[in-house]
Amino acid sequence: MALGTKVYRNSIPTRLTHWLFFIAFLALVSSGLEIFNAAPYLDASDKSNPAKRVLSIDSTDSHVGQTTIFGHTFTTTGFLGFGDDGMGGRTDRAFPGWLTIPAYQSLADGRRWHLFFAWVMVICGAVYFIAGFTRGNLKELVLRREDLPKILPMQLYYFRLRKEPPPHGTYNPLQKVAYTLVLFVFAPLLVLTGLALSPGFDSMFHPITAVFGGRQFARLWHFVIMLMLIGFFVTHISLVATQGVINQMKSMITGWFKLGKHDGVGI
Amino acid sequence: MKRSLFVASSISAALAACAPIGTKLNDSGFHKVLSGAEGLNHLVLGTHGLAKEYAESDVDKDFRMNGFSTPSDANYNRLQNGNFRDYRLVIDGAVERRQTFTLDRLRAMKQQTQITRHDCVEGWSAIGKWRGVRLSDLLDAVGPRSDARYVVFHCMDVSPDNVPYYESLDLQQAHHPQALMALDLNGRALDPDHGAPVRLRVPTQLGYKSAKWVNRIELVGSYRNLYSGAGGYWEDQGYEWYAGI
Repeated sequence: MALGTKVYRNSIPTRLTHWLFFIAFLALVSSGLEIFNAAPYLDASDKSNPAKRVLSIDSTDSHVGQTTIFGHTFTTTGFLGFGDDGMGGRTDRAFPGWLTIPAYQSLADGRRWHLFFAWVMVICGAVYFIAGFTRGNLKELVLRREDLPKILPMQLYYFRLRKEPPPHGTYNPLQKVAYTLVLFVFAPLLVLTGLALSPGFDSMFHPITAVFGGRQFARLWHFVIMLMLIGFFVTHISLVATQGVINQMKSMITGWFKLGKHDGVGI
Repeated sequence: MKRSLFVASSISAALAACAPIGTKLNDSGFHKVLSGAEGLNHLVLGTHGLAKEYAESDVDKDFRMNGFSTPSDANYNRLQNGNFRDYRLVIDGAVERRQTFTLDRLRAMKQQTQITRHDCVEGWSAIGKWRGVRLSDLLDAVGPRSDARYVVFHCMDVSPDNVPYYESLDLQQAHHPQALMALDLNGRALDPDHGAPVRLRVPTQLGYKSAKWVNRIELVGSYRNLYSGAGGYWEDQGYEWYAGI
């Protein structure tokens, strides 16, 4: 198919879940940070153990915000440890009010948001996978063996060390790496590490919690996977912004995508 | 390029709007919608299975205190000064045989020891060795009537804003084999900060369920007419009644 040809790329379930994922992800991150604030440290152990502390965000008696990562302490006043209280003032709290839902510190409300949008995410995920499998369009973005040799050339193309991208289908090999990791590794791990924090889940499936190193360790994994997904999210948005943003946005609203010079079709 | 700059800045603006929009929604009727997830969590997770039991070597010798510290009211001080000789645990409400237990009577009953993890809603965890009487043994002693649906724990402490602490479980949760009325922590009688002389231990739910300083267990058909009606002190402040997650 030629340059400029319009193809119907995104089905209704894909588009609908895409925007719900977007809303749910923002709500989960900001309410998650609110929940983190109630115990602003992460330990690589089952029970809380300051000797195994990987990250802590707190403040001194004189309101100097401090972030400690693997024993190295950085002053982060104004952002982490001491900053926006969400009500127009400043206070001792790990993540500032402008990053959390609700802006003022409320563990109870943060939990309500988090546990609600966790369901939105999981239900959307189920719809996405079922629709993707039955319609077959999930195949287009899953990494296959024949994509592996194309990963390096694609990276070189992005670094402008190669003139043309390797020939590919709807999604290029690097996109496939990212989508496969997010859909089949990070998303399931995010759900499982979240559930591992629940004493009710732990009572039924302790071996799963144990795989992550216990409850506090699972809390650390949950945080790290969130950071990875934020990395994906930022990359995704900046690529959309630079690769024909109007066409990209249109295809996620109407479903129709106008093919560019290097865009393939199918797998 | 100008266009992408425009997009990048509008996306940043949208992200920055997240907290204020979320806060507005939080203070609106949307809060009720959010709370709908609790029923789903209760339905899906419920109270099944057994909390993991740990080894003696896993125990936190200096077990972190949860919730409030020792009650300061006169009645509690009097009991504490008398080494809780005058302490009584009353079990009443929708029961066949209302009963009163002294500490000696509780200690004479069959004791269960459990080394379980306490998971605080704030996010931290600690492991303690608890010993006491299974709640289901106490319920058997009083015989819940057919109209009893919930077990309410009344406590001897009053919060800084003068509201008594209380908690509740449904009968299924109360009959869980690890639901314990604990008398000892780490081999010694409970100290006042940890809920002396009797506290609840529910290792399958978050720590705020495990009420300290319990002196009355009341069986009821509904907890709606107690205090603010949400079934517990923290529940009345917006925390979930189902604290399994």
